[in-house]
Amino acid sequence: MSAEAAATMEIETLPSDPKPASNSLPPKLKFEPLKAHEMSDGRVQFRKVSVPPHRYSPLKKYWMDIYTPIYEQMKIDIRMNLKARKVELKTRSDTPDISNLQKCADFVQAFMLGFDVVDAIALLRMDELYVESFEIKDVKTLRGEHLSRAIGRLSGKGGKTKFAIENATKTRIVIADTKIHILGSFANIKIARDSLCSLILGSPAGKVYSKLRQVSARLAERF
Amino acid sequence: MATSIEAAVESLREIKSKEPPMWLVPKQELSQAVRAASKHLFSSLKPHSPKSPFDQLLIEGFDAEQIWQQIDLQSQPLLYTLRREVKKFEKNPEEISKLKEAIEGGKKKKVVEEKGTDDIDDDDDDDDDLDMDDDDDYDDDEEEEEKKERGREEESEREGEEMELEGEEKGGIEDKFLKIKELQEYLEEDEAKEYGLKKNKKTKTETKKKEEDTEEEEEGEDEEEEEEEDDDNDEAEEEEDELGLFDGDDEDDEDSLENARYEDFFGTKKNKGPKEKAKSRDRFEGDSGSDDEQDFDKRKDGLSTHEEELKKLQSKIEQMEKANLDPKVWTMRGEVTAAQRQKNSALEVDLDFEHNVRPAPVITEEVTASLEDLIKTRISEGLFDDVQKSRSLSSKAPRETKELDDNKSKKGLAEVYEEEFVQKTDPAAAPLSFSDELKKEASMLFKKLCLKLDALSHFHFTPKPVVEDMSIQTNVPALAMEEIAPMAVSDAAMLAPEEVFAGKGDIKEEAELTRSERKRRRANKKRKFKAEAAKRLAKKPRETTQVDSNEGKENE
Repeated sequence: MSAEAAATMEIETLPSDPKPASNSLPPKLKFEPLKAHEMSDGRVQFRKVSVPPHRYSPLKKYWMDIYTPIYEQMKIDIRMNLKARKVELKTRSDTPDISNLQKCADFVQAFMLGFDVVDAIALLRMDELYVESFEIKDVKTLRGEHLSRAIGRLSGKGGKTKFAIENATKTRIVIADTKIHILGSFANIKIARDSLCSLILGSPAGKVYSKLRQVSARLAERF
Repeated sequence: MATSIEAAVESLREIKSKEPPMWLVPKQELSQAVRAASKHLFSSLKPHSPKSPFDQLLIEGFDAEQIWQQIDLQSQPLLYTLRREVKKFEKNPEEISKLKEAIEGGKKKKVVEEKGTDDIDDDDDDDDDLDMDDDDDYDDDEEEEEKKERGREEESEREGEEMELEGEEKGGIEDKFLKIKELQEYLEEDEAKEYGLKKNKKTKTETKKKEEDTEEEEEGEDEEEEEEEDDDNDEAEEEEDELGLFDGDDEDDEDSLENARYEDFFGTKKNKGPKEKAKSRDRFEGDSGSDDEQDFDKRKDGLSTHEEELKKLQSKIEQMEKANLDPKVWTMRGEVTAAQRQKNSALEVDLDFEHNVRPAPVITEEVTASLEDLIKTRISEGLFDDVQKSRSLSSKAPRETKELDDNKSKKGLAEVYEEEFVQKTDPAAAPLSFSDELKKEASMLFKKLCLKLDALSHFHFTPKPVVEDMSIQTNVPALAMEEIAPMAVSDAAMLAPEEVFAGKGDIKEEAELTRSERKRRRANKKRKFKAEAAKRLAKKPRETTQVDSNEGKENE
């Protein structure tokens, strides 16, 4: 069927072209963009996102918030494979763009990392948002109490340091034990990463705050 | 004329005949006689002295001094000429014999010619003779006068003879002004005078003495003159020597003068110049030694001025040479460190260097008074030089420092980016930022408050004029703002009577209720409660224990 479609498409285009003059090249063939469904020879595209155990109940809780935008706006089929503990995404026939699938997959993935749905939704809406993950041991080898203290430094009392960084750099941060995930645009991720790294390395929060203030002022000035 | 001459001669004889003691006492007749005689003498001498301004000796009303002056005026030039003539006759005794012959010849011509020569001679001799005559004693005694006059008379007579003689001798070529022979003779005489005067003075005086034996005073005068002449002529001769006016022509005449010429004035040969040295060697071979001694004797009293000057010069020269040879004084040496000069030598010298510091002001009473005046005026004017704080021009509005928000953001990340995007694309439509909202809210509240306060306080409350650019939005009902009536309390706060109390019937206080009324009230309450309870039960068909507490309490 796909071959027929392709052939028909090709056939359709050919007769429309009149015979060109002997001197000039033949005109470019114009093709309509492929629909997601037609890609990879008409086969359906899948994405599967595994669900970590600690995100199981939040998934259940926020399932409708996840499902609705994916199915309605992105036009991607989504289902939860309970046995395999995976979220499966599939393109539909009327999926407008192939990137939708990827976006949805990213969105679901972000949720699985630990981000909130309202924050992860931004991935669906904006193209240039990325998620960066790194571990504390990548920055500095810390063991035992030092590690715990580093994690404490990163979050701050009641999470205020983390929130401060988030608000200043327009990112979202998830600190999962030794893993750190940052969601935001490229430049903002960089700034947030620098602040976090400095905190890991041992600088006090006040120093990080002052730096953040400067950065945020600069960012605000730009616009 | 003849009678006058005779009278004069007679008077003279008379005077001569009188014995000397007669002259001691001044007598009128004697003086008169003498005056008359002198007048005659004067007039007789007049033709021989063309220069004298007086034709006659004026006697009447003049005192001795004045008469003497007149005589003097006439006689001085005569004396010069006489002396010259005498010298001339000394040299050439032959001419004396010629004189005699000439006298017999034409007298008159010679007199006229001679007058011309006399002029020349007078001029030449005046310089020398003036010195001599200046020191004559100007006594007022008539005795001296007479004697001089006598002497002069004799001289004048002689002079007249001499003049006549000379006039004949000369040739016809020269005119009365220029006589070459005379010139030559004059030059020789002059030089002889200059260089040989010291030696010849004695001879001169001798001749004078010979001529004028009778006049004692003249001799005395000559002696005085001689002494003074020495000094005076030294100067004149020295001047000539310095100019180097030695002539070869004078050598013949200077045989006798050689010895005295140079060394008299300069003593040793060392001080001579090279020219003079050469010349002097030629001349002073034999006689120098003796001359020195003679000259030394003469100069025992003191060095001449010229010598003194030379001495000073010498000493100066020695000094300067010495200074040049010695090492320089440290002040003249340029850069001198402390090691190169004596200790504390810089203190003695008045050093001049630039002071970069202004000298401290000398505080005097005036200074302090002026300062105090200044202070007083300043205080009275209130013109203090206070430093005024300069306000920095705040061109920019103060930056809004964005505070870091420690709390979890209420907006999702998507909304944050959404806002950002909207602000970028369309700033006006952008939703207000947090700070703006707060600001607006705050301003709104404040305006409300202000309005209320104004209404409370003013009887004639005028609302703020509505300015177009300022848009004041208040939620106060329009009615309140447009109220005209003066009021202390806003009407808006007033409630309608129904709003105050909505009820009907008699209203009684708690205290006023009767027992039966209280009962009635309670019964009504119970009925209502029951009704509500029943309603509730009907709503909720749940198993609830029905409490018939009401029934129990009905019968009260």
